[in-house]
Amino acid sequence: MRRLRPYSLPYLLWMGLFILIPTMILVLLAFSNLELYNLSLFQLTLQQFRIFSQPQILNALWNSLKFSLLTTLICFILGYPIAYYLSSLKEKSRKILMAMMIVPLWSNMLLRIIAWEKIFTPTSIINDLLGISFDLLGTETGVLIGMVAMYLPFMIFPIFSVLEKMDVKLIEAAKDLGASDLQTFARVTFPLSSGGVVSGIIMTMLPAMTSFVLPARIGLGRINLIGNIIESKFMKEVLGSSGTSINEGSLISLVLMVFSVISFVMITRADKEGETLI
Amino acid sequence: MGKKLIIMNHVTKRFGDLVVLDDFNLYINENEFITLLGPSGCGKTTCLRILGGFETADEGTVEFDGKIINDLEPNQREINTCFQKYALFPHLNVFDNIAFGLKIKKIDKETIHTRVTEILKLVKLSGFETRAISTLSGGQQQRVAIARALINRPKVLLLDEPLGALDLKLRQEMQYELKEMQKELGITFVYVTHDQEEALTMSDTIVIMNQGKILQIGTPEDIYNEPNSRFVANFIGESNIFEGTMISDYLVEFCGKTFECVDKGFEANAEVDVIIRPEDFDVISPSKAKIVGIVDSLAFLGVHYEINVIVEGREYTIHTTKIRKIGDKVGLSVEPNNIHIIARKNHA
Amino acid sequence: MMTRSFKRKAIKTTGLLLTILAYLIIFSPILVIFVLSINNSTKGYSWDGFTLRWYRDLFLKDVMKEPIMNTLGVALMSTLLATALGTIFAIGINALEKKKRVQMMVVNNIPVVNPDIVTGISLMIVFSLLSFTLGYYTVLLAHVFFSIPYVVLSVMPRLKKLDSNLYEAALDLGCSRFSGIFRVIIPNISTGILSGALMAFTMSIDDFIITYFTSGAEYMNVSTWLYATISRGRSFTPAAYAYNIIIFTVTIGIIVFINLKRDRKEKIT
Repeated sequence: MRRLRPYSLPYLLWMGLFILIPTMILVLLAFSNLELYNLSLFQLTLQQFRIFSQPQILNALWNSLKFSLLTTLICFILGYPIAYYLSSLKEKSRKILMAMMIVPLWSNMLLRIIAWEKIFTPTSIINDLLGISFDLLGTETGVLIGMVAMYLPFMIFPIFSVLEKMDVKLIEAAKDLGASDLQTFARVTFPLSSGGVVSGIIMTMLPAMTSFVLPARIGLGRINLIGNIIESKFMKEVLGSSGTSINEGSLISLVLMVFSVISFVMITRADKEGETLI
Repeated sequence: MGKKLIIMNHVTKRFGDLVVLDDFNLYINENEFITLLGPSGCGKTTCLRILGGFETADEGTVEFDGKIINDLEPNQREINTCFQKYALFPHLNVFDNIAFGLKIKKIDKETIHTRVTEILKLVKLSGFETRAISTLSGGQQQRVAIARALINRPKVLLLDEPLGALDLKLRQEMQYELKEMQKELGITFVYVTHDQEEALTMSDTIVIMNQGKILQIGTPEDIYNEPNSRFVANFIGESNIFEGTMISDYLVEFCGKTFECVDKGFEANAEVDVIIRPEDFDVISPSKAKIVGIVDSLAFLGVHYEINVIVEGREYTIHTTKIRKIGDKVGLSVEPNNIHIIARKNHA
Repeated sequence: MMTRSFKRKAIKTTGLLLTILAYLIIFSPILVIFVLSINNSTKGYSWDGFTLRWYRDLFLKDVMKEPIMNTLGVALMSTLLATALGTIFAIGINALEKKKRVQMMVVNNIPVVNPDIVTGISLMIVFSLLSFTLGYYTVLLAHVFFSIPYVVLSVMPRLKKLDSNLYEAALDLGCSRFSGIFRVIIPNISTGILSGALMAFTMSIDDFIITYFTSGAEYMNVSTWLYATISRGRSFTPAAYAYNIIIFTVTIGIIVFINLKRDRKEKIT
């Protein structure tokens, strides 16, 4: 096997090229007036930090935090019992139900968001067919429901996979040693599933925090998240007046990366080789 | 024995800071059954892997049939390996596992078929051709692994603890069969084990290793009867080891008594270790004995009893067929040629 | 005993109800998409009767031909490349000593955990540094990049189960370093490779965010085309729903087929 080791080396270079280098550039862009599409001499500057005095940006940061935490909380409250319930089923129904949980992810994300847009319109096809009417476009509730629907499977998968693999004997041992159902759950089952819970929380929170199409569409542009700001700084304002929009975007991306790094450290502690990630 | 087939010259191998093989010198004769014996971590598997070509020596040379083979790939060596836990290919059936090497060499189908049939007969697995590996018992897998290696007609077969996963009865049967096979095929076997009994039963030559060094090389009889160090004496069979003094040639003192022995050539009053095998003590009546003690414990081991006798605060282990009770007073005697003497500097 | 079985039942019922609620939330957009794909209306605000014309449009009228071909082309190529590279990398990583292997897996998981928007921006920055023109090749490269970690993750557990002497046995019996990989390692990890490939394919076909940041103005896949259309406030043809339902069904079909085949194989051996 020793002979096969060299095959891992190019991967390290590849990852260095696509992760390490852009991160360094991002830091540079955030703290200088370097132009991404016109590389030349640059000066270090903190002028990008003025965006943190703009209410629009602060609002987006607050919204990101609020929506991602709420989404994660709801997904966890729903997801843990569901994962627990599913893992307790017989093998056949367990397999089928889990497969059904993955299935929706094979449907285009944008179309799913558009479908929610349709559902939340008062005069929708749902109204026409079933007589149920929602009016949630542009509301926080609407955005929240959309996010829960989008990210709930990512909470359930890792928790389920840990619970499924758990040795039943451990639970029997706990009961044998005198633990009640509740104690068994609190002292054995839950602690042992904590790796899956950490993965689930992170795999829900990070995408929710950074989503930009969903809040833009369902929130009708009234609810902006950090992702919307980044999108506009990198993709829309570039051709506009502000010459430093990419630098500002980079600074905001760095804020995001801080969350990402913290999450990553947590996930790596709970699950070194990423066995709960797929 | 025939000529020297393999010569390892000053071979050293390190893993990081750990020296696994330390200036290792060994030659292996043609048609020899040689066993590398030692505790786990002594470097015996590494030595085998260097011979197989899976590891490269950091220093020193490995010669095979007069040529240095340090840089040859495993597939370029006339050496095959029977791996620990067999390493049979799970995606292939018995026939395809055994035929693997021949197929790589692009030998025609008919020849492959004949040779596989032939070798299956040798390992007593005729009729198992299409069986999946996962359906075989441990013993059968072992046989497939041997067949898969032998079918390539190597000059040397390396076996890495091949019987480690089998139960006692099966292991004893396989020991006998392996030895028979080796004689019949006239191939050199290099065998690695930590089981001293296995080594004694099967080998022409035993190499005792510890911490990457060779401690003693010899026939099973030599090594059992004339261990050259405390370590070897302890590792091969059980031993009573006493500190003693050589009074003159053929006379040694230990435990406060003098005994006749067959060793000579030590300096007068040289510090020595005296080794006596448990089965070499005779239990006699206390009145006639130089050594007298009290039975402290005993255990029935099937063929004989193992009894511990306390003599002046020291514990002696003795194997005897005569039954004694705990608390009995017994006398012990030992023949001069059963007293083995090692110079003290040989501490391992 | 009464209370005990009652408690169990209560827990089970709660679990069941929550599960039903979850499936309802997760599946409702899919149902809406399905209904819109067979609804005889371009706007989709009301049910105007059953039709298959959106499906017909896809095949006969070349509706959305360019974005669809782009999506499938990138998905196929990136799956092939990512599967091949990911498998080789995984084999290399698995051969490392434990500490280094864990470190490499940590590196491998960075793109998996990283939000897509960060990955998208990072790739965009690299491409602009290398002065690549954004388009097919940058999208392909981006998709290969985000797929490889998933291939590695799905191949790894299989590799770990392999006896490490297996490859050496192949070398011992005459294989060269390269043929040993093909003859012994790959056949024994094929299920992992297959599931890695499937994952790469499904992720590529549905990707929006990373493609959005790496495709430039000209090159569009289905997702970015949809986004561009709705961002301009225009409506798009319901054929998009039909396309989605087709991809969806085909994916399910492939997965079911593979699982059935695997189950049958397991029954035989």
